[in-house]
Amino acid sequence: MINKFILKLIQFYQKYLTILSYGSCRYHPTCSSYAKVQFENNNFFKAFYFSTIRILKCNPLFDGGFDYVKIKCPIKDKQQFKKLKFTKIKVKYWKVPVENNYCLILQHNKTWDR
Amino acid sequence: MGMNDNTINKEQTQKRILLATALSFVFFIAYDFLYLQPQQKAVELANQQNAKVIEQKTTTPTTNNAPQIAQTNAPQTAVATNQAPESSAITANIITTIKTNRNIIEIDNLGRINQVTLLDKQYVDEDKNQIKLFNAKQLKPLEMRFSNGNINTEAFKVNMIASASDIDATKSKSVLTLTQKLTNTTVTKVLTFYPDGHYDIDVSTTNQAKFFITPGFRPDVLADMYADHGALLTKNDSTLTIIEDEDMDRGEELIGITMASAFDRYYTSTLYNYNTSMSVSVMMDATESPNMFIHANDGIKLRGYMGPKEYKTLASLDNRLTSVIEYGWFTFIAKPMFQLLQFLHDYVGNWGWTIVLTTVLIKLVLFPLSHKGMKSMNRLKELSPKVKALQEKYKDDKQKSSMHMMELYKKEGANPMGGCLPMVLQIPVFFAIYRVLLNSIELKGAPWMLWIDDLGAMDPYYVLPILMGITMFAQQKITPNTMTDPMQQKMFQLLPVIFTFFFLWFPAGLTLYWFINNLFTISQQYYVNTLFANAKVERHEKHLEEKKHKSSKK
Repeated sequence: MINKFILKLIQFYQKYLTILSYGSCRYHPTCSSYAKVQFENNNFFKAFYFSTIRILKCNPLFDGGFDYVKIKCPIKDKQQFKKLKFTKIKVKYWKVPVENNYCLILQHNKTWDR
Repeated sequence: MGMNDNTINKEQTQKRILLATALSFVFFIAYDFLYLQPQQKAVELANQQNAKVIEQKTTTPTTNNAPQIAQTNAPQTAVATNQAPESSAITANIITTIKTNRNIIEIDNLGRINQVTLLDKQYVDEDKNQIKLFNAKQLKPLEMRFSNGNINTEAFKVNMIASASDIDATKSKSVLTLTQKLTNTTVTKVLTFYPDGHYDIDVSTTNQAKFFITPGFRPDVLADMYADHGALLTKNDSTLTIIEDEDMDRGEELIGITMASAFDRYYTSTLYNYNTSMSVSVMMDATESPNMFIHANDGIKLRGYMGPKEYKTLASLDNRLTSVIEYGWFTFIAKPMFQLLQFLHDYVGNWGWTIVLTTVLIKLVLFPLSHKGMKSMNRLKELSPKVKALQEKYKDDKQKSSMHMMELYKKEGANPMGGCLPMVLQIPVFFAIYRVLLNSIELKGAPWMLWIDDLGAMDPYYVLPILMGITMFAQQKITPNTMTDPMQQKMFQLLPVIFTFFFLWFPAGLTLYWFINNLFTISQQYYVNTLFANAKVERHEKHLEEKKHKSSKK
């Protein structure tokens, strides 16, 4: 519920207010995209915490750079792959496994569709 | 998707953003003019009419109801049923007048505060008359209501006897004793007035006649849509309850109350006792606004203050009393902001210059942050050919373009972006100053210099907003940026115009803050720019010298 509300706020910001702060973020993805992915993939408290930390770190005292959302995503039983159904799906994220049981979340870009 | 579709889409989106921004600004201004201001007038009108209606409905307390209430011991209903006959509320019969250094207080024949006239020379209305706090048609401060219906009816008929008719409390504190002899009880109200305008009250009844006492309906000098007005209570766990006017749907019972304040934008009538907490019944009047009644049993001792919500005055009575001043959601930052402004004002003596000085101080604190940002931003100029090439290459894929840009910054060891935090930090500071300008009596009608004679009101000649726009434009010109999209660039260039337009109606003090802020950003940026230009020239000269050196060696 609350996550949905916050996502709406972020959406509004990205649509109408982003020009006010254009080209100021030191990270990729930008703070607002980062927060969006956080609130779509984490519970409220975690998402709020990580998004706040991100904004706090987004100043000249920190280096900036690449900083993707990282979530816990244990690789499931290999049996599961046998049950996979091959249908056409709409890709929203790419979850890239890193270290043990963690994934980075990359947002899919429409221009990557061929 | 074709490339053409993409660019068309992009342009449409940009146009939509532009339209939406313009529309929202228009909306805010229209809202102010077409909704807030007429509503204010309508409220005033409704108040007058309501007062008339109440006058006509002169309710006499029902006697057969009363004993039952006394037994069930339900103060809420007791207060509700035992109304004051309104006819007596209108025709005031002043029995005592008290003069202090700050105000003149009138007591009527039922021992209530009939009116308070402020004496300080800054508290005058538009017609240059000294401000009177209360509306005669509303509930008066220190009115008593009794649990017992018989006593209540009688108490509104029998006059109080005052120990003096004229009291001078300008030199030292002065005591007024009011007595009311009723059939079954005797009421004694002892009021002590102090030169600074506040008072102590000690009321008691004989024969255990239970009663309630009120700080009255809020002062009615300036109650508009821009700031809260109604009732504000603090509890002994230092939580705060605000009940706004015309916003009640039922009465409320509150316990553990240390302070009960009826307030409008700048003035308050407050009763407090931080040693023994009170129980308070908050009742709804005909306009759904709060009327507070403090449970007194058969006796209570309280302190009271009626007057402007000046920080220093309140703090001198009790530091905790400053919570009477309320800045809305942003209190947690607006209050420290006010304290900083007040502190500086003691040295500066002018609120306009205080705002200028505060702006400079904030800039100084943020200097290390902004300076580092600006320095790395200037490296952007040197990288600009590479940036342009990247943007050209990935112009249809924003995500990829920003990724490669980030990679470039990493390779060059410089991140030219200022960051989101400095941006976000501006917002609370801005709102804090806005709320302080709106809610602090100290800044009401505070002048700066020349034509600015009220920092809390808009600039009558639009000079400050226009200066603000010009400096914003200059700041954009002098600051390097990565924008390449022509549509986006156009939008960006339009921002100073939109902001100027928006700021036209803002309090002059706020526009002043933004203007000074821009000025300092520009000079800082200019300094950094020249620093880099010099460094470049030096490098160039060094380069030439080396060349010369090499050629001479040959």
